Amino acid sequence: MSARVAFLMRHSPYGTVYPAEGLRAIMGTAVFEMDIVVVFVDDGVFVPLKGQRPGELDMKSLADGFPGLADVGVKDFYVHEESLAERGLAASDLAVNAEVASSARIAEVLAGCSTVLPF
Amino acid sequence: MLYTVNASPTSSRSLETLLRIAAAGDPILLLEDGVHAARAGAATERLAREALAAHPVYALGPDLRARAINMIVEGINVIGYDGFVELVEKHTVVPWV
Repeated sequence: MSARVAFLMRHSPYGTVYPAEGLRAIMGTAVFEMDIVVVFVDDGVFVPLKGQRPGELDMKSLADGFPGLADVGVKDFYVHEESLAERGLAASDLAVNAEVASSARIAEVLAGCSTVLPF
Repeated sequence: MLYTVNASPTSSRSLETLLRIAAAGDPILLLEDGVHAARAGAATERLAREALAAHPVYALGPDLRARAINMIVEGINVIGYDGFVELVEKHTVVPWV
């Protein structure tokens, strides 16, 4: 059985380095052809939000980095329903096609992974 | 006193605790991840309104735009870096990190 690795993203982009490092780590891990899932919970739901314009901060849009992950075989995205709702967001606001998942479903997805990497 | 808040209201209680301390009329500047408190339609809008009831509230435009925060809670003043400098010149700064 190949390793199934979850990248658990819980931080807002730009304020901390977690989401950018998470994206880098996903790309780096994907090279090893591991089974990868990306889970957005809490402020992590802000990471794939469409319409980010961080040019004034001299940064590139993190959201733009996620759709391209399909090219390296990363297609399993889960977004926590309650975290979205709490922030007034909908799945259509995201730049990735993610499964909108209940708390129980998120727990199930994480439990199905051999490793969970937090970002 | 100018209080600056740089943490997201959904990951930190900074803004909430600040509102207990800051004297009425003291300006509050939301910057970095703190600008998430300015997002209209979020559950934290209640906190933003509580802040606005007693303080002038500012949010840094470049940080709002980076985070795709387009709908701002009414009453919050969006400022640029020049406005940030003006506030800092006028007030003693208390970073509520």
